[in-house]
Amino acid sequence: MKTMEVRIQRYLPEQHSEPVVESYQVPFDDSTSVLDALNSIKEEQDSSLSYRWSCRMAICGSCGFMINGEPKLGCKVFLRDYAAAGTLLIEPLAHFPVERDLIVDLEQFMQHLDAIQPYIIKEQANGVSEMTPHKQTPAQMDKYQQFSDCINCGLCYAACPQFGLNPEFIGPGALALAHRYNLDSRDEGRAERMPLIGSEEGAWSCTFVGYCSEVCPQSVDPAAAVNQAKVLSAQDMVLQLFRRKK
Amino acid sequence: MTYKTELGRTWWLKNSAFKAYMLREATVLPLVFFILCMLAGIYSLTRGEASWNSWVAVMGNPLVLALNALALVASLYHAATFFVLFPRVMPIRLGGKKVPDNLIVAGQWAGVAGVFVLAAWIFWGVL
Amino acid sequence: MSKTVKRSDEPIWWGLFSGGGVCFAVFVPAAVFFLALALPLGWIELSHAQAVKAFGSIFAVVFVGAVIALPAFHAAHRIRHGLYDLKCRSRSLIKWLAYGLAFAASVYAMGSWLISFLL
Repeated sequence: MKTMEVRIQRYLPEQHSEPVVESYQVPFDDSTSVLDALNSIKEEQDSSLSYRWSCRMAICGSCGFMINGEPKLGCKVFLRDYAAAGTLLIEPLAHFPVERDLIVDLEQFMQHLDAIQPYIIKEQANGVSEMTPHKQTPAQMDKYQQFSDCINCGLCYAACPQFGLNPEFIGPGALALAHRYNLDSRDEGRAERMPLIGSEEGAWSCTFVGYCSEVCPQSVDPAAAVNQAKVLSAQDMVLQLFRRKK
Repeated sequence: MTYKTELGRTWWLKNSAFKAYMLREATVLPLVFFILCMLAGIYSLTRGEASWNSWVAVMGNPLVLALNALALVASLYHAATFFVLFPRVMPIRLGGKKVPDNLIVAGQWAGVAGVFVLAAWIFWGVL
Repeated sequence: MSKTVKRSDEPIWWGLFSGGGVCFAVFVPAAVFFLALALPLGWIELSHAQAVKAFGSIFAVVFVGAVIALPAFHAAHRIRHGLYDLKCRSRSLIKWLAYGLAFAASVYAMGSWLISFLL
């Protein structure tokens, strides 16, 4: 088995005043993912290493890290991909506060996600009394389906300099989910979501850097969603002007 | 106790995607120069023939020519980045089907070519 | 969310930016090539009399709008956001300056056209 040097940014708040990079030699073959490497380090070399992970198959969205400066899921990239570069540096996701080693505080993202109400809103709360099914044609579903694959991994936030510059920015992931529900024929909550989307910290903080869509492991294309939301917000503004005149 | 790094002014130098972004944003700098040239042209136009001729002469200055050549390159780079965004921001559906992205991009380039042909027809009477 | 959210005025600037972006991509390449390269290099002829006649036509308003006014707002928008990206403070000053200058350029070009057109 070949070995590779894996460098990891460590931060133990009880020991370090600021993060330090530590180096480990990790044996690997063609099937060793970066997450496998972290697990191997924790089991064989340093049990104090902390990181989040769960499913190992790019669906839970827990193991997002900066790998050689790019936001990636640890389970979705392999040491063999970095053999040519010869170096592998794992850091916690950018733009989030670091709690410990590779664990970041996602609270800001969770708050933004909560604020855009990422669920189907029905204006009349018929509740369970009226058990009508939410029918939807394939064409109606096609309108939002692309934006519904988000796994809340946060890679797009680590890729977004506007979120890095201003953490109050709702950000790509949450705005993409807002747009996903706004496009859903069963949803009636667009009017409730629009004020936040149309605010300075909503879609309008985005400058279409586009890197969020490049790093998205689910190919959601949040940048497209955010910019389609800008179009909706602009339409909303024009409609508001007419409403006021009447 | 969490640790947070602030983005510095040079954040965009650390990633090739961010450098490409900043390059795209910087395409407006030579555009501004070109617009100033056009405003000067309009001014000289209204000031009479001698003024117009000296404007054309200044436009022939190697440095001015170089900056405007840069503006041409910048406008085409901007076009390349801008055209691919259009179908993503405004997806067009015809008969329930999404029009393919590359068709929309090609259509926009046809527009650029069309304007060139129109200008050539105006100035050279070609076609 | 107890926070009150204020509608951004960005749709106006973004609309001008987008329109200007289309013009920058579609009209500006030919305009730069013919007016800023071919003309001074002598590849095309455009005497003062011809230029005055052309600028006084109704079609010149398309030129002013698509090559000067809208691209100016496009440039102003990108410069404004670019300076924010570079962490320049005084955001409202930059905003007023950028769009103000684009507005001034547009008014000057449009006004000059209108005078030429009417005379």
